[in-house]
Amino acid sequence: MKGTILVVDDSAMMRKIVLRTLKMAEVEFDQVLEAGDGVEALTLLRAHTVNLIMCDINMPNMSGLELLLQIKEEKLAAGVPIVMVTTEGSEPQVRQAILAGAKGYIRKPFTLDHIKNNVKPLLVA
Amino acid sequence: MANAALASTTFLSEEFLAQRNIDLADETVFEVFASMLGLEVAVAPPPVPEIGEGDERTAIVGYSGAMRGCCEVQMNHSAAAAVATAMLGGVPTDDSDSLNDAVGEIANMIAGGWKDRIPSLSSHCNISPPTVITGRAYKVHMSRPSVKIIRCYHFGGNHLFLTLRREDVTGG
Repeated sequence: MKGTILVVDDSAMMRKIVLRTLKMAEVEFDQVLEAGDGVEALTLLRAHTVNLIMCDINMPNMSGLELLLQIKEEKLAAGVPIVMVTTEGSEPQVRQAILAGAKGYIRKPFTLDHIKNNVKPLLVA
Repeated sequence: MANAALASTTFLSEEFLAQRNIDLADETVFEVFASMLGLEVAVAPPPVPEIGEGDERTAIVGYSGAMRGCCEVQMNHSAAAAVATAMLGGVPTDDSDSLNDAVGEIANMIAGGWKDRIPSLSSHCNISPPTVITGRAYKVHMSRPSVKIIRCYHFGGNHLFLTLRREDVTGG
């Protein structure tokens, strides 16, 4: 796929796993941007146009939920699908993320099928 | 009245130590290893080995809310390198930052996965980002007496030790 993906996770390992699983699901991008927290992600979003954001929730400095609100506030990444990828699988967290603008949600640990079923449809929509 | 309220919002010791929660811990570890690492893992049969040989890593994830406590995942250098390599899709890695990151992320997924399997904790208990410490000379101090579940797993000749601790809100 043409375009840019932004992966936000404080674990560099997890960023690699997300990217590798997306590639296995045949979701590939020309450019990959990585951020270790919400603050870094905002800096990247102010400078780049992206086509998909995969974002952890539980991060230092600025959480994924705070990042979602800030993206909304600054009108960054309008229309770009944001998928939350997190160990926090509880319903209130999901609800909060969706209300704040997330289009999808994947719980870690995830499988290739989770990516295929929850991320791919967002890119063709 | 106060006791009734406490019982409805907290996860009591007897409930914590139930066999079902031990089974859920095993199930969570199996899922994390299968999904994220592509590695087979099993409960290590007794006698449980000493962790030994130096350069151990322990990742600690805190619980707050309906249950106060922590999840500790401990493994030696060889086990951490095997986990990190699997996380990178088979690319061998041995650098300290990657190993700390890998052990921390495994602890994060186990801590979150276990509490999400327990309805009384799932939406009522939060987890902290993982803290990774190296070496064996440490002791976890809880602010109240605690109960714990200890499990040992083996994978590809390596071992992982899981400790789930819960502060006793009714005692101490």
